[in-house]
Amino acid sequence: MAAYLLTLSHWLLTGAAVLVLMLAVYGLLKALKARQVTAVGYALVLPWLLGFLIWQIYPFAYSFYLAFTDYNVLQPPQWVGLANFKHMFFDDPRFWPSVRLTLLYSFLSVPLGMIGALGTASLLAQEVRAVGFWRTLYYVPSVLPAAATALLWRFMFAGTGLINTFFSPVYKLLHIAPPAWFSDEKLVLPSFVIMSFWGVFGANTVILLASLKNVPKELLEAAEMDGASPWTRFARITVPMISPSLFYVMIMGIIAAMQNFTAPLFINTPGGAGTFLSVYIYQQGFTQFKMGYATAVGWFLMVMILILTVIVWKFSAAYIYYEGETRKGD
Amino acid sequence: MTFSVQKLLRTFLIYFLLCLGATVVVVPLFWMISTSLKGPNALFAYPPEWIPKPAIWRNYIDAFKALPFGTFFINTIFITVLAMIAELFTTSLVAYGFSRFNFRGRNALFMILLATMMLPSVVTMIPTFLIWRNLKLLDTFDPLTVGAWFAWGPAYIFMMRQFFLTIPRSMEEAAVIDGANVFQIYWHIMLPLVRPALLAIAVLSFQGNWNNLQGPLIYLNSMEKFPVVLGLKFFEQSLSKEAPMWNYMMAMSVVMAAPVLGLFFSAQRYFIEGLNVGATKG
Repeated sequence: MAAYLLTLSHWLLTGAAVLVLMLAVYGLLKALKARQVTAVGYALVLPWLLGFLIWQIYPFAYSFYLAFTDYNVLQPPQWVGLANFKHMFFDDPRFWPSVRLTLLYSFLSVPLGMIGALGTASLLAQEVRAVGFWRTLYYVPSVLPAAATALLWRFMFAGTGLINTFFSPVYKLLHIAPPAWFSDEKLVLPSFVIMSFWGVFGANTVILLASLKNVPKELLEAAEMDGASPWTRFARITVPMISPSLFYVMIMGIIAAMQNFTAPLFINTPGGAGTFLSVYIYQQGFTQFKMGYATAVGWFLMVMILILTVIVWKFSAAYIYYEGETRKGD
Repeated sequence: MTFSVQKLLRTFLIYFLLCLGATVVVVPLFWMISTSLKGPNALFAYPPEWIPKPAIWRNYIDAFKALPFGTFFINTIFITVLAMIAELFTTSLVAYGFSRFNFRGRNALFMILLATMMLPSVVTMIPTFLIWRNLKLLDTFDPLTVGAWFAWGPAYIFMMRQFFLTIPRSMEEAAVIDGANVFQIYWHIMLPLVRPALLAIAVLSFQGNWNNLQGPLIYLNSMEKFPVVLGLKFFEQSLSKEAPMWNYMMAMSVVMAAPVLGLFFSAQRYFIEGLNVGATKG
């Protein structure tokens, strides 16, 4: 009970403090003879601005410092220069396997999820009855808590679980032993990818369906008149028209996949073969108390996400079609 | 004649594929519920028992007693509701500021806001943990709720801003002539107009806080403060030593998923609309 009251009082006080600060900023800017829009605008965006400074800029800068230190929480951080990065790249036997798993998972699960979502959305765009029903149904897996999904799939992937039971005729036909999925080091990655396929494409289907519905019908009909095959129409008209949404889905998918955290934490794998980078950072920081090293790995992950985003962005810039925008050189 | 046969075949194929996809979605869900009602011997029965006979509803009660799941639920509701209210209130104010007031530096600030969507939380995780540690507020609900007053979630701000942009300015201009102040306009005119976006963000925020594992894992140590997700993690660890009690785990997964699913179904129209505004009108 006391714990609730403590947080409730802090919560109410902080809320009140933020409001008072907003009024103070307004008053201050007015006193400095700022224009009305400036005073009101800054007062309104203040909560975010404060949050940005306290919970993003400061931690960001501090983590940059921590990445070059040895810090076990009890003693103050010790400056060690590049030792963390040296250890990470050359001595840590668990680091590269974790990077490999995280990258391969992103490279496999994001495109597969997009193809699944695009296929489903294309089906639903074909004047199907009760679109709302199907759309909702396909969305359900992405609403489920990741923890529940992970436990469910771990159970279904068990040695004598539902999936192996279902495919046992296939195994018999091909004379192969039932795979051990999450318990087989080599199959950990495919198992995670299959599981992600169930979870992710719902949200993406909804987004892609909405943008498919916005593709002008006249364009498709005109192309059909000119004798374009369904495939040509799809590849040359539909895909370019929905490219901004595809791009959005892809970027968001990569950022999320690279930070996969909850599901792997609920799935035991032999020898930690299923340790994604985010999980590894958590383990190093909060179970081994190597906060400096964990931060260094965190920076590596962030730089990787940044590089991937830039690559996707550069590659797709030439292909994305934004309505109402004329490209240079056109 | 051949044309209509072709058309029929096409329709058949579309519905066949849709049903196939639906099976892949529904079967695991059904299996989760079915497993939650089974006895320990029926878990891996061959052939699979789809409808458990008898259905053991006691599993739910027993699982609730195995760990203090009742407390876990109260904690989760407490965390989720406080964080959600603060998020809704501040993200809508900030989005209003970004969409309606052309102050100096606005566009630069907005670009920064969008860039922060790409900052992985693991980088700021440890320094943020140290802030709460210095405030002596570890193992309290504070880190999971109080920070929400600082407009958590750049994606929500972005989504809300897109909604505000669709509302014609004439709505407020009339109110300004009538002498209403900014806060009155925001509260009485703007908020009612963006209700779909508010509801969409409410669902997303509820879902995010309800399912959040990383925060509670780092900040909470005493079991009486655990949310359901940590209880489930603890449950999983303590049971995986012997024969895992999948029936209990599935029962708790069903109970954990139920509120999120219920909210999704009741607000799904807005939810889907909100999702689309963020993605297609950018």
